[in-house]
Amino acid sequence: MTKVAQRSLQAGDRMGTGASKVLVIGSGPIVIGQAAEFDYAGTQACKALREEGITTVLANSNPATIMTDRGIADVVYIEPLTVEVMDRIIARERPDGILPTLGGQTGLNLAVAIADAGLLDKYSVRLLGTPLETIRSAEDRELFSKLLADMGEPAPPSITVSSMDEARKMAQEMGLPLAVRPAYTLGGTGGGLVRTTKEFEAIVSGGLSASPIHQVLLERSLEGWKEIEYEVMRDSSDNCITVCNMENLDPMGVHTGDSITVAPSQTLTDKEYQMLRSASLRIIRALGIEGGCNVQFALPPHPVVDKAIGSNWEPNAPYYVIEVNPRVSRSSALASKATGYPIARVASKIAVGKRLDEIPNVVTQKTLAAFEPALDYCVVKIPRWPFDKFPAGDRGITTQMKATGEVMAIERCFEAALQKAVRSLEMAGRSLMWEDPDWRRDDSLLSQPSQAIFDYGQSCMV
Amino acid sequence: MTPETLSGHTLVDPWFIHALQRIVEMEAHLLGETLTPSLLRRAKRLGFSDDQVGTLSDMLPEQVRSLRQSWDIRPVYKMVDTCAAEFEAATPYYYSTYEQENEAPALKGHKAVVVGSGPIRIGQGIEFDYCSVHAAWALQEEGVKSIMVNSNPETVSTDFDTSHRLYFEPMDEESLRDVIENETEDDGDGPPPSVVQFGGQTAINLSQSLAQAGLPLLGSGAEAIDIASDRHKFEEFLARLGIPQPPGAAVTSVEEALRVAQDIGYPVVVRPSYVLGGRAMEIVQNATEIIRYLTVATEAGQGRPVLIDKYMEGRECEVDAICDGHEVLIPGVMEHIERAGVHSGDSMAVYPGLNLTPEEVDTIVDYTTRIGLALNVSGLINVQFVILGGAPYRSPLFPREDSPDTSVYVLEVNPRASRTIPFISKVTGLPVVNLATRVMLGRTLKDLGHSGGLWKRQKIVAIKAPVFSMSKLTGVDWYMGPEMKSTGEVMGVDHDFPSAVSKALTASDLTIKPESVVLLSIADKDKAESTTLIRELLQAGIKLYATEGTAAMISAMNAPVTVITKRLSEGHPNVVDVINEGRVNGVVNTVSQATSVLRDGFYIRRAAAERRIPCFTSLDTARAAVESLLFGSGSLQEDQGRPYSIKRSEEYLDGP
Repeated sequence: MTKVAQRSLQAGDRMGTGASKVLVIGSGPIVIGQAAEFDYAGTQACKALREEGITTVLANSNPATIMTDRGIADVVYIEPLTVEVMDRIIARERPDGILPTLGGQTGLNLAVAIADAGLLDKYSVRLLGTPLETIRSAEDRELFSKLLADMGEPAPPSITVSSMDEARKMAQEMGLPLAVRPAYTLGGTGGGLVRTTKEFEAIVSGGLSASPIHQVLLERSLEGWKEIEYEVMRDSSDNCITVCNMENLDPMGVHTGDSITVAPSQTLTDKEYQMLRSASLRIIRALGIEGGCNVQFALPPHPVVDKAIGSNWEPNAPYYVIEVNPRVSRSSALASKATGYPIARVASKIAVGKRLDEIPNVVTQKTLAAFEPALDYCVVKIPRWPFDKFPAGDRGITTQMKATGEVMAIERCFEAALQKAVRSLEMAGRSLMWEDPDWRRDDSLLSQPSQAIFDYGQSCMV
Repeated sequence: MTPETLSGHTLVDPWFIHALQRIVEMEAHLLGETLTPSLLRRAKRLGFSDDQVGTLSDMLPEQVRSLRQSWDIRPVYKMVDTCAAEFEAATPYYYSTYEQENEAPALKGHKAVVVGSGPIRIGQGIEFDYCSVHAAWALQEEGVKSIMVNSNPETVSTDFDTSHRLYFEPMDEESLRDVIENETEDDGDGPPPSVVQFGGQTAINLSQSLAQAGLPLLGSGAEAIDIASDRHKFEEFLARLGIPQPPGAAVTSVEEALRVAQDIGYPVVVRPSYVLGGRAMEIVQNATEIIRYLTVATEAGQGRPVLIDKYMEGRECEVDAICDGHEVLIPGVMEHIERAGVHSGDSMAVYPGLNLTPEEVDTIVDYTTRIGLALNVSGLINVQFVILGGAPYRSPLFPREDSPDTSVYVLEVNPRASRTIPFISKVTGLPVVNLATRVMLGRTLKDLGHSGGLWKRQKIVAIKAPVFSMSKLTGVDWYMGPEMKSTGEVMGVDHDFPSAVSKALTASDLTIKPESVVLLSIADKDKAESTTLIRELLQAGIKLYATEGTAAMISAMNAPVTVITKRLSEGHPNVVDVINEGRVNGVVNTVSQATSVLRDGFYIRRAAAERRIPCFTSLDTARAAVESLLFGSGSLQEDQGRPYSIKRSEEYLDGP
């Protein structure tokens, strides 16, 4: 067992069901990378905690949310989400727990800032759900790589740098292409894939300034690999389940939030499915998370794609762990709706000491939260991009998310779910038959990915 | 191209490409063969819409629908039960498919369909999900079963316990009519009514299709919606009521456009009719720009008329109101910080209108009441106004200097919930959507314990401020104009304006810090007016950098300024360098539609967006920010500025 997990288990014992007043941190304004899913999660959380007899105090600056309405939380503060303001709210309300895992990246960042400002000790209040060390490790790339190494989970070869000089030196050793990921940013802000020296200079310097701690990770590019996500839950007694897995139609190199996503995965062998499932459970256990967690994996592509990438690099593992979100995320909202399993609700109950086998699934009213969902249909999610508003903008889809929202469709087969999802986009009646007069074919297929599926369809016809 | 080649090109797994190929093959069948029951059924099972089938087999969607009816090809609804039917489940959550067994027999009794707002996009955000959820709850309170239809998985409206039933379906005519048919009981009172006022433009657009199909709407009829969205009918309507609006017309050719603009005088606001969020809306100054607009920018309208209106550079206000056919209740008046010309969704809105004279408020209440009653609104209405006369920016901090000799014009009427509904509900304490929904069910305001007119003014100041996501959208120019660009909003509330504005700016990351450096690049048309802002910046101890023309003006004011060139090719450091090097902490950059001005400023604005420093493209927002620093709590740091309140939401409403 890792140190983090040990510490969390001790914390878990202390936590028990002792919390009687909990501060829930909201996600603030809707920005790209943080949309309505956190209103959904926060609303469920407040309701779930109140059912347990806990007084909920909610802080959020966004008035356009259900969670900030009367009747959802016991007490609502519509105030700016800064440390100074939180200090005053905590002083006034004296909660005994803070639940930061339902307010997206904003919630986690604020929780770290609250801890750094010494407010947890000052008011003897504790973080619920995810241990602080886990939040830090999942965000700090170097700690994260180290953590994966400790667990024996494979990570793509990478190095963290905090200056341009250092970055240039490492790039010489590793070669291009590289994925650039700034630490502590929303939706991958400031990151991207770099194939040329020019791109390298621009994106790395942008990423360094985007990161609040001026740190970026340079990582061996896995562009073209399959991207698979698992949503997993764990309680304080170390029971774990996977809620759902999802596969991105778009390969690695495209931000998950900008990818067309299918649930459950469609192209994995049972062996691959089980391998990644087991890895997800190992990871959530090692991280000591009590609640929900999202794990993203890269899996080697189909031989046809592998050949097209033309990489001569020999992978040293059957898969790589790309990212772990130790919190409720956009993907968990999708997984909840795709399966009928209310992740945010269950995560909140777990955070205050409930076990999975003690929580009924109120959606079905017949099963328990310890029951792994099974799907007899196919779910497709398509992002909704703002390019109709910004015709002059750069439509290139990269590791930086650009979608403002998304649609989901459910049907018995992938084809029907995909077509339904396209209809749901409300793109002025465009169906898969729609053809953009501006399309350029050939190697620029991925240059306008918002239209790529239409383009794929057209290309099949030729 | 073979699927494998395509897979190599796109790096998408061949499995997905093969699926696309099956869709394409079906297209070929539909195109080449006579439609038979078996072919149509197969197409529906692959997800083809009536619209697609119609296009391929040369029929109208409505004809395909009739064929489906006569061939008995209808969707059935399956339950999302989490266990693949292994155990019995009671989940009221469904999706459509073309199979045999229907797991969703029509709900019994009184019920209504809430039409949701689909995916979150700029111009149609989370506000409409908020409204849909409250509509569903209000229906339930009145003993009406709520049936939610939506396609957005990120929302509260698609949560399992928001409605009696949830259909996860596309928000288009076909899906909605299928759901309504499925919910029509064989021996019942006919199809359930639909609620279209809360789902934004998506739901409003569907109202016309539903009305054409003879399906009932709850609340305002399709006619009210039609009058409000048709420029010509709307003009006649307001003229009949004797309510002034900026002169303008709908045009379909360049010649006509030039004539209209000549008649009403430049500058004019041009926009395509029937669009969302002010898309492709511009303020144009002369004939050349009109020609460019009509030849280049009208794609958005796709053959539909372009609207030309006189641009009135005044103060903008808006109200939301509830109308029951007899009375009109107005929760509050919101005044924008930015003058008309900035999209209302991108403006900072202040409640209550601190600068409005009692006469202006009376006029706004009177116009809203008369419009609501004359349009026969049942439910919600949003009206936007511009007030001409006096300075276009009046600081809420200072007593009015100008005479109250002003006139109020109506800019726009929307017979539906607007994006300010959650804000106005929270700051007035009135459950606006709840009241509106109950009114739509036939209750009167009087029944509900309310009466017409303006609701009591709360002893608070609340500010709704927009939040942009421009650092994510590389290459996008994001100056504020008539087209909406923000993705979200925050609220700052307190008992006085300086504290409330400090909070709103802090929450939207737009604070100017004391003793910092601000870079100014002001368009010529704004230079004269910017002197007040410049004096205030200096008074706040801000150091000024400015581009050539602006610096010359500041020097002429005998104020210290550092000149930074905006010509990127002429030496360093230029404007982009000083931003990238972190030497400036804020930017004020106003624009005009002249191409060269836009281009010069573009690099400044992009650099600021990427560097994540505040960038003000309206003098009005900048003044609010510097005044918050001078007279308010600034960026809410400790030991700085005046104290601000931290209170529970309901404590603000109880008064200080």
